[in-house]
Amino acid sequence: MLDLALKDLKEHKVRTILTALGIFIAITAIVSLGSISAGVNELVTSSTGLIGSDTIFVMREFDFSEMTTGPPQDMIGEIDADVVGEISSMSGVKRSVPVIARAFMGFFEVDGIDMDAVDMFGAQDLEFKEGSWPENDDKGAALGFLPASMLDVAVGDYITLNKKEVEVLGIFEEGSGAYDLVILMPYDYADEIYETEGGATQLIIEPEDVTLVEEIKQTIEDEHDDLDAMTMEDALSMMEEITGTLNIMTFGIGFVASLVAAIGIIITMYTSVLERRRQIGIMKAVGALRRTILMQMLQEGLLLSVISTLLAVGISFFFVDMLNNVLLGGINLAVITPVLAIGAVAYGILLTVISSLYPAWVAVKTDPIKAIREG
Amino acid sequence: MEKNVMFELQEVWKIYEMKGVETNALRGTSLKIKKGEYVAILGPSGSGKSTLMHIMGCLDTPTKGRVFVEGREVSELSDDDLAKIRREKIGFVFQAYNLIPGLTAAENVALPMRFSGYGRSEAQSKAKEILKRVGLEKRTTHKPNELSGGEQQRVAIARSLSNDPDAILADEPTGNLDTKSGREIFELLESLHKKTGKTIIVVTHDINLAKRAHREIRIMDGMITK
Repeated sequence: MLDLALKDLKEHKVRTILTALGIFIAITAIVSLGSISAGVNELVTSSTGLIGSDTIFVMREFDFSEMTTGPPQDMIGEIDADVVGEISSMSGVKRSVPVIARAFMGFFEVDGIDMDAVDMFGAQDLEFKEGSWPENDDKGAALGFLPASMLDVAVGDYITLNKKEVEVLGIFEEGSGAYDLVILMPYDYADEIYETEGGATQLIIEPEDVTLVEEIKQTIEDEHDDLDAMTMEDALSMMEEITGTLNIMTFGIGFVASLVAAIGIIITMYTSVLERRRQIGIMKAVGALRRTILMQMLQEGLLLSVISTLLAVGISFFFVDMLNNVLLGGINLAVITPVLAIGAVAYGILLTVISSLYPAWVAVKTDPIKAIREG
Repeated sequence: MEKNVMFELQEVWKIYEMKGVETNALRGTSLKIKKGEYVAILGPSGSGKSTLMHIMGCLDTPTKGRVFVEGREVSELSDDDLAKIRREKIGFVFQAYNLIPGLTAAENVALPMRFSGYGRSEAQSKAKEILKRVGLEKRTTHKPNELSGGEQQRVAIARSLSNDPDAILADEPTGNLDTKSGREIFELLESLHKKTGKTIIVVTHDINLAKRAHREIRIMDGMITK
């Protein structure tokens, strides 16, 4: 009897549109926020997956009370050249790679690294759209796809970093994950550009053996009060904490939106039952069973939810595209994964069907004589 | 229990309670209506004739007493069991037609068949045949608001026939119609009775129309007087 449910929805266009709008807004909010959460999760996972599990990160202790607005790279203090040397020569340290990190145009990061140690950053297999890796003695940089597109530069062109002209030696292929957002250059050249005098913003350490990770971390923290040493495990748990907070926020906002939508569905469907009391009475008088009435009401809810949730997910793809390409200039921060899209449709349908249960029950309990007599 | 009895009421009481005040709509009513009878129920407003018809038609249950439809006691059946009896054995015609406004004439007539499990197209095709029998073959796709009162009542009669029930219960079927349309509806009911032999019970105020029935039952203050 789906045709009767569809007919009834068509007959009451305003009520149908208002109910559908409630579901649509809730699901759009859930998918849009969920896409940001999923995108950040994916970015974190892909970034951490590039780096070895025995890697230790060292940076200056970050004082949140001194936090100002602006990119975090600009707030991280530098590690002096003598400390860099001291840590590099510690026992148990196989390789120590100093990194000079700077923010660029708000979204991007410039990293000065030892070009012979790109494997420590999981960058050894990156494909180039044009050009190639700079050598350690080159005066140039390799650009991620997005900064190259945004600056509209090709290999051989120059970009300005810290008021100095830097030649573009290579551009990574689009779709290189976190490296889409990065400009990589030899450490020595970055030292010259940013005048860091042999210092670094971070040190990436590879121990001789994985069993030495905790010991090296502890020694660095004991000997240098102003330094933080973080193992991959620490980094992952910190990232998980951040993404967890983001997930909770998404869940919270989604829950409130769902609650508002559910109340809207209950009110409009209950009103619809009251409006159609006579019609329901007639249906019962001519032989409709309780389950027939129940099924018709639930089918109306089902039809409404399928149409509005599919529409909401479709529109969310458009919103996410706008967010990534217009507001974020091509950074794929928000991602609608198949799980998110299918989950949102299923959730929207379930939410509507559950919200339709009470109005449907009221319809089932309608007394045919009273309904026909009183309307 | 006699086999040829369509409806039997034994000492039926119907008491309504509103705000602590009890009203006796039926007071120990007993009657038998045989299969194939054409009966008119007469009585003034508030006499209990509609209540009597609702109880016979399984739309309502008595407060006390026993009701039988084709020999089966229905006084204490569940809502769904009563609905099945209404669907299979009884057709209703109401004073205010009670058609569903959003459905066409054919869809309204097909509705009880759909509830009985017929598919959409089969029910629609049978509905069109029934509408032809009541002279509305050219009105099958019209919605109730596109039909005259007389035509709407014909659609209601067609709907009452849709599951080929044994009895048709009509509650003041001419009450909302002009004299001519009212007479036509009665003629239609008479003709149906002659052609199909169904039990027809008509509640009416109109003594002249009631005289056309084979038997008159008069009711006053919830009791049968004749």
